[in-house]
Amino acid sequence: MIEIIDGNASAAWGARRAKAQCVPCFPITPTTEIIETIAAWKAKGEFQGEFVQLESEHSAASAAFGASITGARVFTATSSQGLLLMHELLPIISGCRTPMVLTTVSRCLSAPIGLWPDHNDTLAMRDAGWIMLICETNQEVLDSVIMGYKISENKKILLPVIVNMDGFVHSYTRTEVDIPEQKMIDNFLPHPELEIKLDVKKPMTLGIPAMGLDYMKYRAQLHRAMLDSFEVVETVQKEWAKLTKRKYDFVEEYKLKGAKAAIVMIGANTTIAKAAVDMMRKKGKKVGLLRIRLFRPFPEKQIKKALEKLKDIAVVDQNICPGMGGILYPEIKMALSGCKAKITNYIHGLGGNFVAEQDYIDILNDVVKNKKQERKWQM
Amino acid sequence: MISIRIHGRGGQGVKKAAQILARAAYLAGYKTQDFALYGAERRGAPVTSFVRIDKNSINTRGYVWNPDYIIVLDDTLELSCHLEGRKKITKELVNTNKDLKLPVHYCHVDATGIAVKELGKNIPNIALLGAFVKIFEPITFEHLEKAVEIELGKKHPEALQKNLKAAKECHDKVIC
Repeated sequence: MIEIIDGNASAAWGARRAKAQCVPCFPITPTTEIIETIAAWKAKGEFQGEFVQLESEHSAASAAFGASITGARVFTATSSQGLLLMHELLPIISGCRTPMVLTTVSRCLSAPIGLWPDHNDTLAMRDAGWIMLICETNQEVLDSVIMGYKISENKKILLPVIVNMDGFVHSYTRTEVDIPEQKMIDNFLPHPELEIKLDVKKPMTLGIPAMGLDYMKYRAQLHRAMLDSFEVVETVQKEWAKLTKRKYDFVEEYKLKGAKAAIVMIGANTTIAKAAVDMMRKKGKKVGLLRIRLFRPFPEKQIKKALEKLKDIAVVDQNICPGMGGILYPEIKMALSGCKAKITNYIHGLGGNFVAEQDYIDILNDVVKNKKQERKWQM
Repeated sequence: MISIRIHGRGGQGVKKAAQILARAAYLAGYKTQDFALYGAERRGAPVTSFVRIDKNSINTRGYVWNPDYIIVLDDTLELSCHLEGRKKITKELVNTNKDLKLPVHYCHVDATGIAVKELGKNIPNIALLGAFVKIFEPITFEHLEKAVEIELGKKHPEALQKNLKAAKECHDKVIC
């Protein structure tokens, strides 16, 4: 069924079609509409899961953890400072190998207080042991929430998944979205029983103390599970493509064939950058774009394969690590170590600072002209 | 691709206007994208919304810098900046009952007066869209009617009829 809905509603539909059994939440702009949508469905009897509003995001994440370790399918969502408040729980959730899907709707961090998007909130979670899917379109959000459960609940993986979209330019943008039929999702997404879960009939402890070497073994296992999830993500995406004809990969290569220069970026602004690539291609410029969709685990191999033959690469970060630069930049440089490409970092769109096609055209022209590998601000 | 930028104030239905327009264009067979931009939500604050429509898929997003149409819901806004980015072919529609002495040609109608008369409050969005249909070829008044019905939902059947009556009056009275 085709509906005109925004990014927030797309995430809510993902949770509804996945039949999330528990939605603990606390509202924050620009996520609120996800929670409002689910609450309205619940009030009308269209959503069967438990809807619980807590007194903070920290409590929401705690409740999500508690519900999930009893074997319930859990969905929640947050943004910005709300995500930072959840942060304390995120390594616990992944460390206890607890499956769930958390939709993060990117909004810049305070201070100063902003409402519009950049990626500092979500990227701050990069070391939390969560699989991270960073989306560009409404359809991708809906599809990724559903696929997220299938990845998260895989017995070999048992890791929580973040599905990210940008606030405003994505979360409030309405487009046509294909909402899959319930029956199809029920077949695609059975709910596997957790082998290890909290059960009053079979008491056990989760999240035990582990010192030194024992601790290190747990972390090594978590890392291993993350690396193993590449295969699972790939399988699930292939299965989804067969079912819906919508193909997703770890990275999205856009007009990279024959390209000499390219932009590397994440998020909703990619759509605008692609339009810039189209405009330059029409004028015969050999440019392209690589969008990173799977951010954790980090698909080094696919990135290297896509970019190794290029001459000039612009890593466009919509985030800032003060005192270091863009967060994506060193990761792309690591993936491309040993390659000859000149890699320049551009910081843009912080706090939702407006961007247009011309900004990306300027970046692509600059990255070709520029002789040094350096970091630049695109204001 | 055809793009529309709508300026107004919080409470006037700026976001809803974009949603209704996009819905009407969708009903007329277009691919659509609508989006609203605002700061901390409050009544009276400037709000901007955007609509893009195309027979093919829409391959961009975000702020519309060079719109084909500009709709202004409130004539107390700083109009010079809201008319920024206009192209030679851009058409403007302003909700006003005054001579604004703008440097550009614009269509105008007193949508606020008509909305206040019909609805009892200053929510001129749907009324003004009635006038917009006159200068915006892709949709008909019937598309608008159906779109308003879908976007307002079934909760307020009375408001629906009053709004459509106001829209019809604006449609008849707009001066270009």
